[in-house]
Amino acid sequence: MPSQSASEPVPEPRNPTTEPTPPADCQPSTAVPLKIEDWLTVVVMALLASITFANVLTRYFTSRSFAWTEEISIFLMIVLALVAGSAAVARNHHIRIEYFADKGSAGRRRILARFSSLMVSLLFLLIAILSSRMVWDDIRYGETSPGIGVPQWWYSIWLPLLSTAIALRALGLFIRQGRNR
Amino acid sequence: MIGVSLFLVFILMMLAGVPIGAAMGLSAALAIAMANLDTQWFGLLAVPHNFYAGLGKYPLLAIPMFVLVGTIFNRSGVAQRLVNFAVAIVGQGPGMLPLVAIAVALLLGGISGSGPATAAAVGGVMILAMTRAGYPPAFSASVVGAAAAIDILIPPSIAFIVYSVLVPGASVPAMFAAGMFPGILVGLALMIPSVWLARKHRMGLSEGSLPRPPFWPSLGQASWGLAAPVLILGGMRLGWFTPTEAAVVAVFYGLFVGMVIHRTIGVRDLFDILRESGELSAIILLVVALAGIFAYSLSTLGIIDPVTQAIVHSGLGEYGVLFLLILLLIGVGMFLDGVSIFLIFIPILLPIATFYQWDLVWFGVLLTLMVAVGQFTPPIAVNLMVSSRIAGVSMEQTVPWVLWLVAAVLIVLLLVIIFPGLALWLPRTLGY
Repeated sequence: MPSQSASEPVPEPRNPTTEPTPPADCQPSTAVPLKIEDWLTVVVMALLASITFANVLTRYFTSRSFAWTEEISIFLMIVLALVAGSAAVARNHHIRIEYFADKGSAGRRRILARFSSLMVSLLFLLIAILSSRMVWDDIRYGETSPGIGVPQWWYSIWLPLLSTAIALRALGLFIRQGRNR
Repeated sequence: MIGVSLFLVFILMMLAGVPIGAAMGLSAALAIAMANLDTQWFGLLAVPHNFYAGLGKYPLLAIPMFVLVGTIFNRSGVAQRLVNFAVAIVGQGPGMLPLVAIAVALLLGGISGSGPATAAAVGGVMILAMTRAGYPPAFSASVVGAAAAIDILIPPSIAFIVYSVLVPGASVPAMFAAGMFPGILVGLALMIPSVWLARKHRMGLSEGSLPRPPFWPSLGQASWGLAAPVLILGGMRLGWFTPTEAAVVAVFYGLFVGMVIHRTIGVRDLFDILRESGELSAIILLVVALAGIFAYSLSTLGIIDPVTQAIVHSGLGEYGVLFLLILLLIGVGMFLDGVSIFLIFIPILLPIATFYQWDLVWFGVLLTLMVAVGQFTPPIAVNLMVSSRIAGVSMEQTVPWVLWLVAAVLIVLLLVIIFPGLALWLPRTLGY
């Protein structure tokens, strides 16, 4: 749960297992607006729901299903995980054990919070670098997707790009956590 | 050696407050690199491959859809109408409001796939009403915290979806069916001590003076909400929909109810609903993807087999091991949510379950029950923390009440261990 909410006077109904999502107006002040991720998230969620629903309807009315939508839905889901995950990094909403990290002196809490932001940044930087190599292999060997048969790199290219975005969001969080003294 | 450092780095990072997914991904990457020092890129190309493969599974699509269902129904005003209807049935008297809180949590669990959505919906409506009727806030917080924990048992449950993705042979419909009776049993098990405690301590005495809503109108109002679990579970049972499709049908049904019938959701709210559920889903999905890397390193580094051998040859026996599992999972259930726990522990526990030839559907229900207990066991349980915060009490104050409820759920856990049929009868009868 976000550490800044410890001082909130009004106890909002909060989500216990997955992280709480406060209303969109209490935004962290990021250099790059979070609206980018938020709009993408909304569009992808709406698309996912619509495609799946359209699939149900077509199957009932024409007793055929378009199986190729499965590939697109899976791709959209991966994009959703990375894009909305990036916003969740900036808002510090990812599932973590707060019990020890949110205890002790303010100095200790800040060090641990910055350490964890740095670790998130490191991981996604690593994924970005390694997946670039994966994309390069997809291009070199002319891999095509199993369902529709389009070049595989059309899908995989987004993994390094969006991972870089997450790494930068984590870095931004790291910098902001250093500022709040 | 590499195995030990994998777990050590993982546990230390987790305790330091690093997000669970990142702790899994980094410790796994480190272990993979240590094991492949002389290979090209240290064998790390497996990291993006497993990340991608861990996420690119069609059944996982049910997760964002059920999260969306939960968010929509949360805002559709269904909770309040279900409460009114439940009060109209049981009437108002000492001990009736806690009963209603638990019953509504059970019903909402049958709509939304996530406990958090239900906790917020039920807590928001019930804790205030119970306080007004003269129940101590600490008691209300205990009841709501415990009732919200049942949600991961009542289908459709996201924890079950993740379990069935991890465990071949335990299909989503089978898990959903298997969770049904244990979930209802837990609900009943929570009702008995709640009502008994309320009567014994003479709580809620002013409850009887509150007006009782008329039966038929409140049934009419609640019927839209009551139909949702029937649509989701019935549609899946009749083979109309796959779990993902059932979820998406419920999404549009929920939008219809919220926007047209109850008029609690406006067009402007759609942005927030989609954003909020998108972010919640992404948080879950990223842990799933990063756990894919963790599971890969566990299996390729040959860590699981020695652990399994050590446990099954420890001389504890089948029930000794099961007992230790109960302690372990309730313990971690206090710190973590069910999905994360499954992703971390299933790769290690599955070989043990296979060795003892436990039924994997039954095993999944047991694990979920154990996690559910952990989610409201003081002093650090997340669920209880949330409901205490809504009620404005400290968690220590809930202890005298909530321990009764913990004991009640533990009895159900024992019953399901002794009589596996409680979980397995329904999926077998339905032929899953």
